[in-house]
Amino acid sequence: MNTSLRRLYLTMAAGFVGLMLMLGYWQVVAAPDLNDDADNPQALQRDRLVDRGQIQSADGKVLAASRAVRVRGQRVYERVYPQGSLAAQTIGYSSPEQGKTGIEASWNRWLAGSYGTQPLLQRLNLREKRGATVETHLDTRVQEVAQSALGDRRGAVVALDPSTGGVLAMASSPTFNLQDVRTGFAQIADQPGAPLLNRATQGRYPPGSSFKVVTATAALESGLYSPGSRFDDNGRYVVNGQPIRNFGGRTFGNHTLARALQDSINTTFARIGDALGPRLAATMKAYGFGERPPIDLPESEVVPSGRYDNQGQLLAADQQGADTARLAIGQERLEATPLQMAMVAAGVANDGTVMAPHIGRRALDRGGSVVRELDPVEIGKPASPAVAQELTEMMEQVVESGTGTAAAIPNVRVAGKTGTAETGAPGTNEAWFIGFAPADNPQVAVAVVIEDTPQTGGEIAAPVARSVMETALEVGAGSGP
Amino acid sequence: MNLSIRTQELGFLAVSAVLGILGAVAVATANADELDFGALPGAVAVLGVFIAMHVTLRLKAAYADPYVLPLVGVLAAIGLVELHRISPELARDQTIWFVVGGAVFILVLLFLPDHHVLQRYRYSLGAAAVLILILTMIFGTTINGSRLWIEIGQGQTIQPTELAKVLVVMFLAGYLADKRELLAIPTSRVAGVPVPPMSALGPALVFLAISLLLIAVLNDFGTAILFFGVFLAMLYLATGRTSYVVAGLAAIAVGAAAVWAAIPRIQDRVDAWIDPFGDAQGLGFQLVQSLYALADGGLVGPGLGRAFLVNPDGSTVIPALQTDFIFSAVAAELGYVGAIGIILCFLLLVQRGFAIAGAANDGYSKLLAGGLTAVLGIQAFLIIGGVIRLIPLTGVTLPFMSYGGSSVVTNFGLIAILLLVSHRSRASRLEAKRAAEEPA
Repeated sequence: MNTSLRRLYLTMAAGFVGLMLMLGYWQVVAAPDLNDDADNPQALQRDRLVDRGQIQSADGKVLAASRAVRVRGQRVYERVYPQGSLAAQTIGYSSPEQGKTGIEASWNRWLAGSYGTQPLLQRLNLREKRGATVETHLDTRVQEVAQSALGDRRGAVVALDPSTGGVLAMASSPTFNLQDVRTGFAQIADQPGAPLLNRATQGRYPPGSSFKVVTATAALESGLYSPGSRFDDNGRYVVNGQPIRNFGGRTFGNHTLARALQDSINTTFARIGDALGPRLAATMKAYGFGERPPIDLPESEVVPSGRYDNQGQLLAADQQGADTARLAIGQERLEATPLQMAMVAAGVANDGTVMAPHIGRRALDRGGSVVRELDPVEIGKPASPAVAQELTEMMEQVVESGTGTAAAIPNVRVAGKTGTAETGAPGTNEAWFIGFAPADNPQVAVAVVIEDTPQTGGEIAAPVARSVMETALEVGAGSGP
Repeated sequence: MNLSIRTQELGFLAVSAVLGILGAVAVATANADELDFGALPGAVAVLGVFIAMHVTLRLKAAYADPYVLPLVGVLAAIGLVELHRISPELARDQTIWFVVGGAVFILVLLFLPDHHVLQRYRYSLGAAAVLILILTMIFGTTINGSRLWIEIGQGQTIQPTELAKVLVVMFLAGYLADKRELLAIPTSRVAGVPVPPMSALGPALVFLAISLLLIAVLNDFGTAILFFGVFLAMLYLATGRTSYVVAGLAAIAVGAAAVWAAIPRIQDRVDAWIDPFGDAQGLGFQLVQSLYALADGGLVGPGLGRAFLVNPDGSTVIPALQTDFIFSAVAAELGYVGAIGIILCFLLLVQRGFAIAGAANDGYSKLLAGGLTAVLGIQAFLIIGGVIRLIPLTGVTLPFMSYGGSSVVTNFGLIAILLLVSHRSRASRLEAKRAAEEPA
């Protein structure tokens, strides 16, 4: 019987080896995929055990922090958002039930302390699961002004440091209180106006006349035009059998290119667009159109700007077959995000070089050492410094004596451009203002959009931009610590 | 150095105790800001139980195998720590069951001087097994679709099939020891398969059929497979004929197919096994959650008490974590390395069991020890294989680790008998040797 016993034992041992092999598959081979599985509720819940790092503003305010609580004798961490609804869509939330958005998602590796060799050290219990602190460029003072200037109106504000691409403020209205995500997410999602949407990076609006800054860039860069180039306007310019008219049906007669920008003369820019043809597309591309801006937000929360077809698909960047006359005045199915238009303003402000926009500045571990730093990165050069200087002077005229006078700040040179895009519904516009200040030493560039308003960009968006720029200059935002 | 068997055992037990204490410390320090000494009385009690069992072995079974009790100690310690980590109430209950199990272990050794007594009562024991199943069928409470439990008041239930499995082994060992010569020689062939004389095999088959039928009524297919598996293993041990096993496995396949075709619940289980992620929120939920927990454990694991196993509302991430899925919980906390350790403990236990059977002096003892070992091994394989998706999930307990009194008490009794066989065989060999050495 002992032979049988030995064989039976070997059979069982083979079965146990089978167990070990199968277990190895799940715990070693398939484990990374399973842990990253978006449907894995345990992975979300496990985050509760991590002492996530803080998210801080440039002016030293805590935007997000973790608080230890005891649940049934176990220490877990809750996320708290001391600033409530301030920059809610940009900071984002981190919740075991709702997942992660905004900075909470894009900087998760550092916030959760799973960067570098940390996960291994934690596994071996040589390190606690503690996340790094993320310092952002956001300035709560600028952000607050941006949000209160928007008020109840739907729209968005983006303020950039033109020389670094740092995001000083990014506001989207309506907003919501991050603190309510844990308890009342359904109510937030049901609110009118989709408060969870980050209009600054996800809202696509026809840029209207604010796009003329891009057209003017292409015009000056082409060498075909200078600020003093002269044009004649008789109130209409016919393209494809349909006339393009000026805002309010005005006629301007003989004028310069600088004057055309100052008074936002459609016919002249349409004429230029016709003449530029594909050169306009090249300048757009240099400003960042056609690509998702490389900002440190989750890809799903950032959309590219450009021409969209009726199905909401982005059309090819080379603008094949586009009516460049209408494109030049921000029409022809052109849609832009406030972030993209802020990048246009910042590009002009930064001597013609567009910097990659970024919200986070660096991550510091609990010992205070820098574990990640985002250095300024150039992503496009739509204009030479000389052209940028010409553009700046033209944009200053807009604020001094053109459509954008409401953006003027006493004793500060402000450059800007208004936009008033018709939405299709009679009497309602998407009102824009883009600009920067001080024009001779730019510290802040902004883009403001206000949805569905009967007013023009100069009337309603320019004052918002003014408040934001004025505050940014007052507090010295972006000058760095 | 020539230590006695029992002193060796004490040394191994000390290692088990250290493992258990380290585990308890890991849990106590894992989540609390201050140390949690709530588990201390329970740990002391379980340590006391193992010391009492050891002392009993010293007094009554000095020659018994020294590895079995420490291996059980490791499994029990880690299982208990894991239960405490899931919920201290579970560990408190389980501690009580360890005390009762230890008492049963001691009583078996004190009042059963020789396991051959059981051979005499083989038919009574077989009848008792059937009776238990019938009583369960009549008085049983249905939980999770299976009528496996009998309420004994105050919400406490017992699971009589756990006891029945040991009785079945006792019956089969006695019966097969009687008939093994007859069974080993096929007298006819059916469709090319050699068939033993029906006069010898018949009663065993009838017994098996009754048992399986009753278990089918109870809707517990894990136990059915366990019974059939043990029957085949013991038939093989008794006859040494592979052809019987092959025929038996074929019968299992046919039976399983029939059960699968007839019972929707079984189809669901199989579907959940083939593609758990296809219905991850429904049928596949338990299994998918188990696999997520295994993946979280990874190679090394975060340590006892440090994985995420209990939701904030107190529910466990895998339903039935403390019973069917206790292995997944341990694997999630100790990682692949620790889980391999647990599997090796079971494998070593099985190895010791078969070694005890091999060293036994007579056919009955070999069959009894081999059968009891087969029960432990098959049961561990069924449930571990189920929770790691090697085989379809069946709800049997993981010996010494799963939460549940019936399982703990029965398995301690099982171990007592195994050690008794070990002691008797070595003791009688030594006696024979002494008798031979003494001058006539």
